[in-house]
Amino acid sequence: MAATPERRLLEPWQDPKAAPYVRIERLTKQFGDVYAVDDINLNIFKGEFFSLLGSSGCGKSTLLRLLAGLEYPTAGKIYIDGVDVTRVPPYSRPVNMMFQSYALFPHMSVEQNIEFGLKQDRLPRKERTERIAEMLDLLKITDLRKRRPNQISGGQRQRVALARSLAKHPKLLLLDEPLGALDKRLRENTQFELVNLQERLGTTFVTVTHDQEEAMTMSTRIAVMEAGQIMQVDTPTAIYEFPTCRFVAEFIGSVNLFEGKVMASEGNEILVEAAAGFTIRMRSYQPHPLGTPVTVAIRPEKMRLCPAYDPNGVNQIKGIVEDIAYLGDVSIYRIRVGEGKLVEMTLTNIQPRTEQALTWEQEVAIEWSPTSGVVLSE
Amino acid sequence: MSQPPHTHGPHTSRLSRLVNIGIPYLWLGLFFLLPFVIVLQISVAEPALAQPPYTQLWEWVEDGLLQIQINLQNFMLIWEDEIYLAAFLNSLWVAFVCTLICLLLGYPMAYAIATAPERRRTPLLMLIILPFWTSFLIRVYAWIGILNTNGLLNHFLLWLGVIDEPLQILHTQTAVYIGVVYSYLPFMILPLYANLTRLDPTLLEAAADLGCRPLRAFLRVTLPLSMAGIIAGSMLVFIPVVGEFVIPDLLGSPGSLMVGKLLWTEFFSNKDWPLASALAIVLLGTLVVPFVLMQRLQQNMDENQT
Repeated sequence: MAATPERRLLEPWQDPKAAPYVRIERLTKQFGDVYAVDDINLNIFKGEFFSLLGSSGCGKSTLLRLLAGLEYPTAGKIYIDGVDVTRVPPYSRPVNMMFQSYALFPHMSVEQNIEFGLKQDRLPRKERTERIAEMLDLLKITDLRKRRPNQISGGQRQRVALARSLAKHPKLLLLDEPLGALDKRLRENTQFELVNLQERLGTTFVTVTHDQEEAMTMSTRIAVMEAGQIMQVDTPTAIYEFPTCRFVAEFIGSVNLFEGKVMASEGNEILVEAAAGFTIRMRSYQPHPLGTPVTVAIRPEKMRLCPAYDPNGVNQIKGIVEDIAYLGDVSIYRIRVGEGKLVEMTLTNIQPRTEQALTWEQEVAIEWSPTSGVVLSE
Repeated sequence: MSQPPHTHGPHTSRLSRLVNIGIPYLWLGLFFLLPFVIVLQISVAEPALAQPPYTQLWEWVEDGLLQIQINLQNFMLIWEDEIYLAAFLNSLWVAFVCTLICLLLGYPMAYAIATAPERRRTPLLMLIILPFWTSFLIRVYAWIGILNTNGLLNHFLLWLGVIDEPLQILHTQTAVYIGVVYSYLPFMILPLYANLTRLDPTLLEAAADLGCRPLRAFLRVTLPLSMAGIIAGSMLVFIPVVGEFVIPDLLGSPGSLMVGKLLWTEFFSNKDWPLASALAIVLLGTLVVPFVLMQRLQQNMDENQT
């Protein structure tokens, strides 16, 4: 099936008829008493750039190692391209991995490192030479082919590791913190390169990262993990704009959370009596019975200054500027609204810093639209 | 600079550096270079009935006339008399075979210790080091008791019914091999262990991920990366075994000649200090060449691994 250039009507994960390329069924991995991976179900589709995102110890690396065959699960099944590979040893899986430390063989040249996997497949010499040339060219490291890993820079090593893991044309490429060892500037450039490379090759990528920005820029979909479980799987936009639980809302970016109770429901809007002492009007597509406790989540950049304060206006509240953090492009304001409740608001610095409208201890009114946040039940 | 702030200026630090570098050089000069020069000097002297029993290198013959006498006959004798060449070749051969056996036995042991769970490594290493707590000489003597025709080994084999009459092992070349391998095995295992624990286990995971079965991964990754340890261990065994005297003397046959034994005989029995010294110099010369080569090779390996 050739990928069509025009936009697909349904992304594969939205299409109930699409067969997943990687199917993970009730996968559990136990180390002693600890459940590193706890009863996970997950489908990954062909050609995806899928990210496992979570803080350290959440089980994302273990999940990746289970896919690579470097660990065997305590329970559950893994299918790749329809084949059950749960008990297949790593050297027989159609999967390759790029290690966080790169794990390049120090006693072999760049070329020999790339050739290593091809030799295991007993590919004839001519084909090997071609494949090496292709990989060197793809990652623009032809000049380095005779060097040893200790004679090249960190960024170059990352490319060699990538070339080595791609050389066998794996069905699935696993990347463990692929950009973790690079400095910030190099990391940003490499992010885009990695995405371009993936789109060009069409290989399915599964990457592990703790860096949400990295996951947001690169992935088709993200799985947010915590304590061996997947909290939410969705596109970067949906994860950011429509988190389904408090953990995800707080894990990705910053967020203002207002706890309260549903006090009225009008059409697809509800009124929430916030504990901080004001009423919030929100769009909600889920039914919320009156009186249920909910949390309203609104991102700081969705807040704005209210030009004309109206005590009866929608989502308008008054407060006092308590903290200002100037970040250059934007400033973060912490505004005290009601008793002990701080609201974060980010404003783009359109004017130079000295001209800024807000200053400490200033009384301001802020507002937000009923559609620019989500209501989290539980 | 990593100098502590309380040192007084560059002068002091230069002095302290001089002392720091000077002490080891002084040590090496005093205890290695000087004895070597003395041995070299004796090797070109002639034996004499004197105290010490050799002629001096130089002598004032009469007023203002200095006579320097360099006698190269000892070296020519070593070259011409087949007994010395045979002893050298035999020593090198014994050392080579023993090094090989030590490597074949020591590598799996070092590998097993290096890959054992961390809490079990120290007791296992202790087992390797424990024999050092007993004198080397006593341990070699103990082997006489084991290998004797009336010894433990023969009794055991007779009891098992494997043999009908006691084997003559003591005072054969086999006994020398057994004694040498036993004594020098730890010197092979320790550097190999030190090397193998440094091996990054993710390299083996990477090899497996790239389609390499465990045995091939060992041959293509572990073995080449442990080459520095193999060389270090082999040098530690080979070099002292070439000049080994105690083990062939106690366990070996009187007929088999090794350089160490020959040297001892020339020195103590024949009182021919110059010839003994010449032998020592030739022995040193034969060992320096492979040593330097190996050292260079090992340096390359080490650079690779870091």
